[in-house]
Amino acid sequence: MDISIFSGQADDNTPTAKLNSGSEVFEGAQARRERIRGMLFVSPWLVGLGLFYVFPILASLLMSFTNYQLVSDSGVSTEWVGVDNWRRMFQDARVWNGLWVTIKFAVMFIPMSTLFPLGLAYLLTSERLWGRRFFRVMFYLPSMIPFVASVMVWRFYLNDQTGWISKILGSVGFEAPNLLSSKELILPTLVFIAMWGVGNSIIIFIAALNGVPTQLYEAARIDGANKWRLFRDVTWPMISPITLYNITMSLVALGQYFLVPFVLQGPSGKPEGASQFFTMVFFQETFSFFNGGYGATLAWGMFIVVFSLSVVIFKTAKYWVHYEYEER
Amino acid sequence: MKLLKRRRLGRLKTSLALLLTLGLLAAACGGSSENADSSESSSDRSDSNEGESSSGDRVEIRWFVGLGTGSQEEQIDGQEKIIEEFNDSQDQIELVVEFVDNGTASSVLATQIAAGNAPDIIGPVGLGGSNAFAGQYLDLSGLIESTGYDIERFDETSEIYRDDDGLTGIPFAVFPSAMYYNKDLFDEAGLPYPPAAYGDGGITTYGEGTEWEGEWNYDKVEEISKILSVDVNGNDANSPEYDKTAIEQFGYVNQFTEDPAAMGSHFGAGSVVSPDDTAKIPDQWVAQWKWYQNMIHNLGAAPSFEYQESEVMAGNAFNSGRVAMANTHLWYTCCLADEDGNFRDNWDLAALPNYEGTVVSKFHGDTFRIHEESEHPEEAFEVLVYLQDTAGLELLSIYGAMPADSGGAGNFFVELDQQFTQDVNWDVIIDGLDYPDVPNHEANMPNFLEADARIKELKDPILSDPDFDIDAAVKELESDLDEIWSEG
Amino acid sequence: MTTNTSKPPVANYVLAPEPKTSFSGLSRSSKKFLGKAGLTLFAVTMLTTFLLPMLFMTLSSLKTEDQMSNGAILPKSHVVTTVDGEELDLYVVPLPDGSMEPLGLVTPGRQSSVFFDPATGKEIVWEGRWRTLQPLLETDPSVGNFEEAWSRLDFLRLLRNTGVIAGLGMAGTIISSTLVAYGLSRFRMPFKGLILASLVATIILPRFVTLVPTYAIFSEIGWVGTWLPLIVPHFFANAYNVFLLRQFFLTIPRDIDEAAEIDGAGPFRILVTIILPQAKGAILAVSLFHLLYAWNDFLEPLVYLSGNRGLQPISVGLYEFLGLYDTAIPLVQAGAILSMLVPVGIFLALQKVFLGGIDLSGSVK
Repeated sequence: MDISIFSGQADDNTPTAKLNSGSEVFEGAQARRERIRGMLFVSPWLVGLGLFYVFPILASLLMSFTNYQLVSDSGVSTEWVGVDNWRRMFQDARVWNGLWVTIKFAVMFIPMSTLFPLGLAYLLTSERLWGRRFFRVMFYLPSMIPFVASVMVWRFYLNDQTGWISKILGSVGFEAPNLLSSKELILPTLVFIAMWGVGNSIIIFIAALNGVPTQLYEAARIDGANKWRLFRDVTWPMISPITLYNITMSLVALGQYFLVPFVLQGPSGKPEGASQFFTMVFFQETFSFFNGGYGATLAWGMFIVVFSLSVVIFKTAKYWVHYEYEER
Repeated sequence: MKLLKRRRLGRLKTSLALLLTLGLLAAACGGSSENADSSESSSDRSDSNEGESSSGDRVEIRWFVGLGTGSQEEQIDGQEKIIEEFNDSQDQIELVVEFVDNGTASSVLATQIAAGNAPDIIGPVGLGGSNAFAGQYLDLSGLIESTGYDIERFDETSEIYRDDDGLTGIPFAVFPSAMYYNKDLFDEAGLPYPPAAYGDGGITTYGEGTEWEGEWNYDKVEEISKILSVDVNGNDANSPEYDKTAIEQFGYVNQFTEDPAAMGSHFGAGSVVSPDDTAKIPDQWVAQWKWYQNMIHNLGAAPSFEYQESEVMAGNAFNSGRVAMANTHLWYTCCLADEDGNFRDNWDLAALPNYEGTVVSKFHGDTFRIHEESEHPEEAFEVLVYLQDTAGLELLSIYGAMPADSGGAGNFFVELDQQFTQDVNWDVIIDGLDYPDVPNHEANMPNFLEADARIKELKDPILSDPDFDIDAAVKELESDLDEIWSEG
Repeated sequence: MTTNTSKPPVANYVLAPEPKTSFSGLSRSSKKFLGKAGLTLFAVTMLTTFLLPMLFMTLSSLKTEDQMSNGAILPKSHVVTTVDGEELDLYVVPLPDGSMEPLGLVTPGRQSSVFFDPATGKEIVWEGRWRTLQPLLETDPSVGNFEEAWSRLDFLRLLRNTGVIAGLGMAGTIISSTLVAYGLSRFRMPFKGLILASLVATIILPRFVTLVPTYAIFSEIGWVGTWLPLIVPHFFANAYNVFLLRQFFLTIPRDIDEAAEIDGAGPFRILVTIILPQAKGAILAVSLFHLLYAWNDFLEPLVYLSGNRGLQPISVGLYEFLGLYDTAIPLVQAGAILSMLVPVGIFLALQKVFLGGIDLSGSVK
C-alpha cells in the first residue's frame, strides 16, 4: 500500500517533490550525502523503533503461536501450539460478541466523532456568533478532564435513581431510562460520553475551516451559491484531507478504546457483555485470566482489522478527498 | 503513475527483506523470552538489578501489598513504621514494600511474575485472591519444621491453606460474619432488634415475647424488611401504595457480599463442582438468588445496584443509614464512619438467620504467602514470622482483622471498642466461627480465574434486571462451566 | 438571485461575476443582529447541554456527604435547632390550629413523631408521617472538600512528579520529533515509505500488545520503579508528533532553505535558523498535546510505578484516590476538579495560540 497517504497527501506529488525531481538532477555523491543526512535526522526514530518496539512486537507475535501464560503453574512450560490460538479466536463467542459490540459502536462513533466536531467548528467559526473565543474555550474544556475523573462524573450523572438525566426527564414527566444497565442504550450512551473528548478534533477542524481561502467563499457568494452549495462545493472539498485525518484518528482511537467502558461498566462489560468491546475481551484474557498467548492473538487480530480498515479508507479516499494541488 | 508503481514494488521487496531479517532476529529473541519463565534465569535477573539498590550486604526481601487489604492510604503509614522497625532490629535483611491499589494489584503482580520480577512475600491475601495465583506459592512445611515454628496453636484452621503444593500459608486473620443492624431504623418502625445470640445449632428466635415472635430465618428477615422499607410518602413495603420508584430506606442488603457464590452461601455452603467433576449450582444458592431478586425487584425491600450506586447511598448502602440490616463480615467495621472519620454509633451486631435449619456465618481468612521463586526463602520466612507474630497485633489492627490465634482476640476487640463506643455485641460475631461456610465460597476450582469470572457475571443481572430468568441462567452457567473446565 | 445549477469546480468561483446583493423588508443591521442573537442563543443551548455534567461535578464538589444524600441539586443543609447539646433538624409542621411552624424532629415514628417547638421550648406529639413534611433547608456550600482532596491527594507531590515526567518527556519528544520530521520532509532516502509505515503501525497496534515484553525489557535493565520508562522513550520521537510537524514543514517553501544551503548553511543550521522560527505554532501545539497526554497517561505509569508511590504522577494518584474514596462522591468530584486545573490554566494562558494560531491545514491551502 502507499503509506505516504497517511500524512494526508501523496508524498511524491508534493509541490516540493515535483520541484526537486523536475528541476534538479542529483549527482551520485550528492544523493548519497542527502541520504546519509536524512537517515541521521530520522535515526532517533529508527533507534527507538529498535529499542522499544521491535522486540516487544515480535515477542507478542511469537507469543500468539504459543500457550504462554503470564502466571503459570510450576512445571507447565510454554510450548508452540501453532495456529491453535488463531483457530480458537474464530470460535470464541466472546470474541464475536466483542467484535459485534465494537462494530455497533463504530457505526455510531465514527460519523459522530466527525460530524459533531465539524458542526461545532462550523458554528464556532461563524462570523455571526458572539463570543466565539469564549465558546471555543468552553467546548474544549471537557477534553482536559482526566478520563478517570470523567467516568466518576458520568457514573453519577447518569444514575437512573438520582442522576440529573433522570431528574431532567422526570421533571417533564418521563420515567428515566436506565442508560447504564440497558442492553440497547449502553452503546449510544458511551458514544454520548465519548463526545466529551472531541476538543482536539474541534481545534483541527477550526484550523481547517480557517484555512479555506476567503476569496473562494466570496466568489461563490457572488455567484449566488446558497449555504448548502457553499458547504458542498467549497468547504467540504477544502477540508476533506483533514476529515480523512480525523476519521483515521477516530478509527485508531476505536482500536484502543477501552478505559471508559472498562472503568464504567467493569471488565465483563455490563449488562451481560453488551459493552464488552473487543479490547476488553483481550484485556480480560491477558490480564485477568493471564492467557498471554491467546491475548496476543486477539491483539494482533485487532491490529489486522484496524489496519485493513485504514487501508480501505485510504483506498476510497481518492473518490472523496480533494487535494488542491492536483487541480493545478 | 508508472514511477509510483515501480517504487511501490521496490518497497515491497525491501520490506520483505527486512521482515526476513527481523524474523531471524526474533527467533533468537524469542528463545530468550521463553527462558524468562524459567525460574533460574529470572531470579538471577531480579537479584542482579535489586542488588544495586539494596544497601550493603543485606539480603533484600520484597513485600507486595494490595492483593487483599493493606494498600489503603490510612493503612500505609502504620505498615511502613513496622518495616522500619524490622530493618532497624537486625542487619541481615532489608525489607522493602510495594503498595498496589487493590483494583489493579492482580494485573500488576501478574506482569511482575511474567517478567521474572516476582516479589518474595505476598499478602495479606484472602482465599479468593490467592486462587488466582495458585501454584505460585512456596510450601512452608519444610521451613516450619526446620525453624520449629509453632503451627499447632491454630488447630484445624491452618488446613485451609493446604493445597496441591503443600501448606502455603499460616493462618493470620479471620473475618466471620454477622447481621449488622441500624438501631435508629428499628426504633422508628417500632420493631424489636434482631436476636443477640445463637441458640442450639444456631437456630434462634426473633422478637421473643412480642407480637413479632418467630423463628429467626430468612422468611422472618423478609417479613420485617418489608416493614423497614419506606417510600417518600411514608408507606412501607406492605402498603398497596408503596412507590418502588421513590424508596427512602430498605430493610436488608448483602453488604459487599453480592458475588453470586457469596450470596448463595448465605443459604448454605456448597460447591459448584459436583462429585463427578461436572458443574452443578447448589440448590440453596439458586434459592438465595431468587429470594434476593424478589427482595429487590418485587418487594422493593433491598436496594438494586442502581440504588446502591446513586448519590444517596454512594456505594456503601448500610453506612448511608438507609438500610436496616446488612449481612456481612467483620471487616465491614472499616467502612462505618461519616466523612469526617467519626465512627457510627447507631448500629449493633446480631445473629444470622437460618435457612431451612442451616446457619452460615460466611468466613474470610487472610494470610501471607512466599513466592516459590524467591531467591531467599529462609530470609523471607523470617520476615513472614515477624509480620505474623512480632508485629502481628499491630498489623491486625491496621487491617481491622481478628487474629486467627484466639489468644490475641481480646486485645483486638478492646481496640475496636475505642472506635465504636456503643458497646457492640462482638460475641455474636466471634460465635459465627462455629458456623463457617464449608466448603468456602472462595474455594479453588479448576481453571479458577475463568470459572470465577463466569459465575460473577450473574451478579449484575440479579441486582439490576427485574425480568432476569435465574433458572435459565443457571442452566447456561452450568454448561459454560463444564466447557471452561474442559479447557483448563 | 442567479440560477447556477451546474456544479462549478472550486476555482471557477474566483472568476465569478460582480456581486448581486438582495435587500428585503428589514433593515440590514437589525436582520444581522437577529441572526447573531439567534445563533448565539443556539450556541448557548448547545453549550449548556454539553457542560451540564460539569455543573453537576462542580455543585457536587461543594457539598458535604449529608448534603449529597438529601437529593437537593444545590448544596443545602438542614436548618437545626439545638436542645441540650443535641442538634434537631427543623421541619415545617402543619399544626392543628392551621398554622405552619418550623419544629425540630426529636423522635421519628411511623404514624406519629415527637417534635420540639423552639418558640415555646416544649415537646409535642404530632400525628402524621414525618417523611411527608417539608424539611427546612438553607443553601450552604463548603470548600472543605477541596482542602481535603488537596491534602489527601498530596497534590503538590503529584504535581511535581507529573511536572518532571511531562516536562522532560516534552523536551524529548520535541527535539526528537522535530529532527525526524525534518528528515522525513526534506531528504530523499531509501525506505521512506517503510519508515512512515512503521510510525503508523506503532499507533495502530494496541499498546497492551507490547506491555508485557516491554515491561520485561525495563525490568531487565532495572528501570521499573523509576521515571525512566516514562521519559526516555519520548527521546526517540513518536508518530503523532512526527506527522503533525512533518505536515507543517512540508508547507514551508523550500526556496528559502535552498538559498541558505547555497550560502553554505548545513542542514542542522537550516533547521534551527529557518524552519524552527516558522514552525513555532506547530511546536507549541506538540508541546501542549504532549503535556495533556502526559497528564492523562495512565496505563504505563501505573505499571511501572506501582511499587513506588512517591514517584507516581497525577493520573495514577487520582485513580487510586478515586478507588479509595469511592463512596465519598463530593470529595472525589473535588479531586477531579483539582486534577484539571493545571491543564485548564495552561490552556487558557495559551488559548490564543492554541485555538487560532495553529495552522495545521497548511497543505490544504
